[in-house]
Amino acid sequence: MSAIDWMERQGVAVWRRRTSKSLVYLVLLAVTAIMLYPFWLMGQMSFRSLPQYYLGKGFSLTTWHDLFAALPVGREMLNSTLITLTAILVILAVSTTGGYALGKLRYRLSGVVFLVVASSMMVPMQSMIIPEYINLARLGFINHYYGAIAVYAALGAPFATFLMTTYFRRLPEDVIEAALIDGLGYGTVFFKIMLPLAVPAIVTVAVLQFIQIWDDLLVGLLFLQTPAHRTITVGLETIPAQHFQDFPMEMAGSLVSALPAVVVYLVFQRYLVRGLTMGMSK
Amino acid sequence: MRRIIGACVALTVLAVLAGAAFAARGSSRSVTLTLWHNYGTGGNAVATKNLVAAFEKQNPNIKINVVSQPGGNYFQLLQAAWIAHTAPDLSVEWTGLFDTKYEKQLLNLKPYFTTGELNKINGARWSSSNFTPSQGLLVMPLENQFYMGFYNRALFKKAGVTSVPTDWSQLFAACTKLKAAGITPIVYGADPQAIGPNPYPFYDLSYIAAGLFSPTQLKGLYTGQIPWTSPGLVKEVGLWASMPKKGCTNSDVLTKTNILGAFMKGQAAMIIDGNWDTATLRKAMGANVAPFLPPFTGKPQHGVVQYSGDGFSVSKESSHQKEAVQFLKFLTTPTAARIISQAGLIPDVQGFSATNPLANQMLAFARTGKTVYPMIDNVIQGDVVTTGMKQLDAALGGDISAASALKSMKQTLDSLPANQRGSVYH
Amino acid sequence: MSLQEALADAPRVRRRKPRSPLAAQRRRMGIVFTLPVAALIGTLLLIPIGQTFYYSFTNWDGFTSQWIGFAAYRHLFANPEFVTVLENNAVMVLAIPIAIALPLGVAFLLNTHLRGWRFFRSVFFLPTAVSWVVIAFVARRFFDPDKQGILRGILDHTGLGFWHPDLLAHEHSALIAVMITFIWSVFGTNMIIFLAGMSTIDQEIYDAAKVDGAGSFTVMLRITFPLLKRFVQFAFIISLITAFSALFSLIIVMTNGGPGYGSTTLEFFIYEQAFTENNFGVGATAGVVLFVLVFAVSMVQLRLLRSDD
Repeated sequence: MSAIDWMERQGVAVWRRRTSKSLVYLVLLAVTAIMLYPFWLMGQMSFRSLPQYYLGKGFSLTTWHDLFAALPVGREMLNSTLITLTAILVILAVSTTGGYALGKLRYRLSGVVFLVVASSMMVPMQSMIIPEYINLARLGFINHYYGAIAVYAALGAPFATFLMTTYFRRLPEDVIEAALIDGLGYGTVFFKIMLPLAVPAIVTVAVLQFIQIWDDLLVGLLFLQTPAHRTITVGLETIPAQHFQDFPMEMAGSLVSALPAVVVYLVFQRYLVRGLTMGMSK
Repeated sequence: MRRIIGACVALTVLAVLAGAAFAARGSSRSVTLTLWHNYGTGGNAVATKNLVAAFEKQNPNIKINVVSQPGGNYFQLLQAAWIAHTAPDLSVEWTGLFDTKYEKQLLNLKPYFTTGELNKINGARWSSSNFTPSQGLLVMPLENQFYMGFYNRALFKKAGVTSVPTDWSQLFAACTKLKAAGITPIVYGADPQAIGPNPYPFYDLSYIAAGLFSPTQLKGLYTGQIPWTSPGLVKEVGLWASMPKKGCTNSDVLTKTNILGAFMKGQAAMIIDGNWDTATLRKAMGANVAPFLPPFTGKPQHGVVQYSGDGFSVSKESSHQKEAVQFLKFLTTPTAARIISQAGLIPDVQGFSATNPLANQMLAFARTGKTVYPMIDNVIQGDVVTTGMKQLDAALGGDISAASALKSMKQTLDSLPANQRGSVYH
Repeated sequence: MSLQEALADAPRVRRRKPRSPLAAQRRRMGIVFTLPVAALIGTLLLIPIGQTFYYSFTNWDGFTSQWIGFAAYRHLFANPEFVTVLENNAVMVLAIPIAIALPLGVAFLLNTHLRGWRFFRSVFFLPTAVSWVVIAFVARRFFDPDKQGILRGILDHTGLGFWHPDLLAHEHSALIAVMITFIWSVFGTNMIIFLAGMSTIDQEIYDAAKVDGAGSFTVMLRITFPLLKRFVQFAFIISLITAFSALFSLIIVMTNGGPGYGSTTLEFFIYEQAFTENNFGVGATAGVVLFVLVFAVSMVQLRLLRSDD
């Protein structure tokens, strides 16, 4: 093989890698456009007044002004934040402990418990929310923050525990065994070793549950019937009526409501990859 | 010594209790009611707010907390509230079979209204138990509503349509002329009826039924005495479903978005809607828009669908029933009618006109001899409405025939328990 | 082979005979650590689920109930609408593999840490934060066959303008539109699940593979995918549950279950029966059927993707 042949072959290889790489980027950018479109649409529509929406053009701040006049946006965002964060804390508490027990400690009944936990996700909410509602109404949980928090925590716990169990199972045993040889108990192992290693899963659970709870309508509607306790998602539902829908206002409200989830994700997304910690613990 | 202390304690307790009793009695003179509505941000919400303010001014000892509840799931929320005993004193209810459904929870207003007072309320019949006012009013209607067609005067002129169509043949003739001029004759699609993402077929069905039956005969559709598959209905609904194929409508009848915008921009000559967009239409099109009765009949259309679709009710478990009823009675006064009309609605009390000229044109139909019909989806069973919404749309979209759509509706009716299609409206 | 020997050979959870105190402590701690989740789920989830099972045998309207036994199930299956609804759910299952494969592929791509991967990871996840109402609105815009429709625009621009799909207008295609929207909406969730799973894979394995000269495709197939099997199973079940019981808000704004019963899934049917028609008993019966379906499909899927750990 002559030097020129060799150089040509290298050149072709580079070219091929470059085109495949640009193809990849093309695909990624196309997907980006698809993913960002709703945000663009919300932004565009929220800056039109209702007549302008019908006619398809124009720019106006009326809708934003009307949104804040129609709904106590700040108050409802605070309610949503309080309820969502508390519920997530509860969910994380029970799912990390449960996931550790079912994924690593594995006692005799743990298989059955895991099956029950995973199966409890499979009954649709619409079927069992009314019995739940009646039970909690009898206990006086309606129109109190803790009622909604309890229900959200219960609804999110199976998913979170399932994910944590899956994740914990994948973590290697030898780390635990090393700790046990050093004389640490299973409890200390959990707090000192397992939890730090589980950060990516914890962040995943937190972010996904944040969105699920924040965007929930039915539980918030039934369990927090008074405006003082209302979440922003339920509040946004008071905009459309039977025969009249202020579409731009709905878009503006949805944009405001989507922001916290976006912020939460952007803040925590760097914890999604564990990176070097695994190697360091060894 | 102990006896003296005991006596002092007893006296103190008695004093405290008496003081509390007096204080309670003193504060029971001022009553706070809760009112739930699902009116969103439109004219009805504005009317409600102003009505409450005016009422509180007239009755300084009564205060009403107005709570806007989500429009979707509103009735599920009410049900849940009744179950948990957290229901409000006053709540918006829909009339017709929507309120007889909840009759067990609603206060029957028979003891509070005289026959004379009931006669002054236009929509009393459909808001009462078994649709008989003498059996007791359940809902105090808020406003008059219409299902109505609207047309663009300028576009009719441009296409050479000289008179408003009043039956099928005239309608199809007008469609041909409009199509030749490059105008969509009737535009159908997803919104503006915020009821759902598909066209709501019951505006049209109400006018089809008006061409076939008298208002009292409509009960036959409820009991099944007049089956949904009766030949008259099959023929008329068939003609209705054939409109897209005959070019009378746009091609994407089920999926076109923003049809109100299309009508206002002059892309379509006619639209079937309710009266809730009249302010928007008037503002965008001025005197160019006018109402007309959808001519979905073989003989000239003689009916107008004028109906009070919603109003307020008192909950049976309210602890302030008297005061709550006072608010309902306030709605029949001239002050209230004026407030309602100023919010862009049409008051339901006789002898009142509206501020919007379009609304007055619609009211004129009944005054010039047209027969008044209820909205058909309020007087047939909810299950049948649900089936009809899906199947009639599928027929309009050309997926199934009108006959099979009506057959599904009949099947739904037949599978209902007997007490839901008996002689008493439930 | 005696029965006992056969039983001993059967695969099951490795049982350590509690001889050593360490094993006993392990078991004790296991129970202690399970208590919180057990208490929460037991009281607030299992009890209403049990009640749902009970009510599935009645004709409950929210206020009074009357026991009718298995007639409730018979009545339900005799309903032709219900059969159509079950068929719709069966079709929806076909969307799940796509809803898994696409994010998995993108997760692989991002895991190679190509330039800008963090940006793409964030952008792909953002639609998850958008409410279903907005998603449904966007979807309707997308599938609008008119000039303003996005799909129509894409087809026209890429030279496929002769094809005029009007997916939402026909009973048999509306569900496909819903499935496409569903896949799009769970993309971000599944992607970060897989990314989290990939973070459990030791970097050293990748380094060793690179030393051995393995190309990225081989690495993906031979190393990452087998190690991710559990996460794929998890994502499958989660996506299945989402498709079967969390799409209600999407469907009601996008198609309202129509045209006809074309996009009425079992979950939508349950909502209609329970909340619109006040037939809570029927809602409970259908809910039990839904549970059985999800459970069965999940078990089948676990079998097919059998994992070793």
